Amino acid sequence: MFRKVLVANRGEIALRILNACREVGIRTVAVYSEADRNSLHVRFADEAICIGPPRLADSYLNVPAVISAAEIADVDAIHPGYGLLSENANFAEVCRASNIKFIGPPPEVTRLMGEKEKARQAMKKANVPILPGSDGVIATTEEAQVWARKVGFPVILKAKAGGGGRGMRIVRTAEELPNLFHAATGEASNAFGNGELYMEKFIEQPRHIEFQMLADEHGNVVSLFERECSIQRRHQKLIEEAPSLQVTPELREELGRTLCRCLKEIGYQNAGTVEFLMNGDGQLYFIEMNTRIQVEHPVTEAITGVDMVKAQLRIAAGERLDTILPPKIEIRGHAIECRINAEHPQKFTPSAGKITAFNVPGGNGVRVDTAQYAEGVVPPYYDSLIAKLIVHGVDRAEAIARMERALSQFVVQGIDTSVSMHQAIFADADFRAGRFDTKFMERFLAEKVESKAPAE
Amino acid sequence: MNPLNPEDIQDLKQLIEFLRENQVAEFEFGRGDSKVMLKFEQHQPSAGLPDLTSLPAGARAASTQIESAKAGTAAGAEAAAELDAGLHVVKSPIVGTYYGSPSPGAPPFVSPGEHVDKGQVICIVEAMKLMNEIESDGDGEIVKCFCSNGQPIEFGQPLFSIRLG
Repeated sequence: MFRKVLVANRGEIALRILNACREVGIRTVAVYSEADRNSLHVRFADEAICIGPPRLADSYLNVPAVISAAEIADVDAIHPGYGLLSENANFAEVCRASNIKFIGPPPEVTRLMGEKEKARQAMKKANVPILPGSDGVIATTEEAQVWARKVGFPVILKAKAGGGGRGMRIVRTAEELPNLFHAATGEASNAFGNGELYMEKFIEQPRHIEFQMLADEHGNVVSLFERECSIQRRHQKLIEEAPSLQVTPELREELGRTLCRCLKEIGYQNAGTVEFLMNGDGQLYFIEMNTRIQVEHPVTEAITGVDMVKAQLRIAAGERLDTILPPKIEIRGHAIECRINAEHPQKFTPSAGKITAFNVPGGNGVRVDTAQYAEGVVPPYYDSLIAKLIVHGVDRAEAIARMERALSQFVVQGIDTSVSMHQAIFADADFRAGRFDTKFMERFLAEKVESKAPAE
Repeated sequence: MNPLNPEDIQDLKQLIEFLRENQVAEFEFGRGDSKVMLKFEQHQPSAGLPDLTSLPAGARAASTQIESAKAGTAAGAEAAAELDAGLHVVKSPIVGTYYGSPSPGAPPFVSPGEHVDKGQVICIVEAMKLMNEIESDGDGEIVKCFCSNGQPIEFGQPLFSIRLG
């Protein structure tokens, strides 16, 4: 097992990793920017090194600074957490060249999964269902019509160079395709300087389902089942649950086996999550793979009893899955996580500043992962996640009741938080019934605006 | 009370030194009619840090290298004193290992009392096998050097104090 590990991250996940290291006897090294001098991950690490000024690019994303810190602290391995450098294949390569173990998959695999088209092909080859689409760029409207017939309406035209929803058009019939094609090309040219388009099948009201995978360095792969993350705003997840009400035991079993085979074929190692969209008929389509631990891993930990970060450490240290995991892993109960952000609950504007009161709920089946504390300061330079509130219950009904109770006891003063927004969601009849898809938040927020208007 | 003779005062001074070194808060001693009572002022924990100061600081056992980088806080306190005295403090722009001379055994780049120009190389911080020359960011006289050869350095760590001008 490693003697010493450097945590190349900040906030709640840095603390999460430090905790796991501490519990297995690994000495911990924290790195921090000047803005994080009084952070919990700095205070609770065995050693701490300041690596730069507040800006991410100059500190947490500064590869030479992180590697230099790892060298002077003489660590065996680096855990990159999520975000930041965790999916940066170059960083993983520098670690390898510096003789420091990167806790994650090999750089080649990270690179493969990072290239969307290559990832799709790798999945397709392994019989993982992928979202049907064109093979690359479509030159003319005639070609587009051919592809649309093959893929099946509705389709979406997307800008190759694009993002942020621009250069995109949803096409529902062959008649409207030519005009929409030209409109999308024009918009993409203006926005990105490149009007090239490709096509994908469009899922009307998709649900977001993802599978948690673990692979050791000896070719063994295991599925730790799925999570549902459909409650999102602008592609940012707000609430995650495990298991998904939409996934049948048969689907879980079959897709689990297929994914294990696939990851074994591509030589995957350590933790990873495969993301899917599910259409109204329960059909899953691969969209992408995240080659790291995810924010919402605690809901999987709750229902399986597996400590994911410890599993990552042990895998990276060379242990086999059959010594890390119990022989049979089963789903126990239901877990839900709310991401508590430092932002206005209705306007969603970020809220930085000093926390004057911080009461964290506890009790049976309640877990809070946070790096904030009373008198702590939320700096303006980083993302707004300040806490993850996770509940576990014998079933979804108990989990919901538990979350409502816990949210009502989560008191934060001095900054705005999204606690009251979560409370409103948990009171919603559709959410409670499990009737939602990725458009839920749009509708939910629109309804709130409407219901507010008459009173004003 | 009988006035203390010179030997007694000498003993008392030694006693006070001893007690202070061992961070004794109060001491009382009586012999016959005489009694000595000493009370030391308690060190106040810095305001602004929350009650976390009373937490066990992660059982931070003494570390070989980073303890001296943590002495960055001791050097930080020293540097703060220099700042108060109107001196300019040169801080490290990178993370790495400090070297005061261009090679082992060679004379140091600069010494206290020496004049330096802005842009003049005053030390090296090695990072990832690269020797980064650190330049003075002002003209003046080197007053103090805070680091020693081979010491691990973090970003912002005080390296030298300079009397500008």
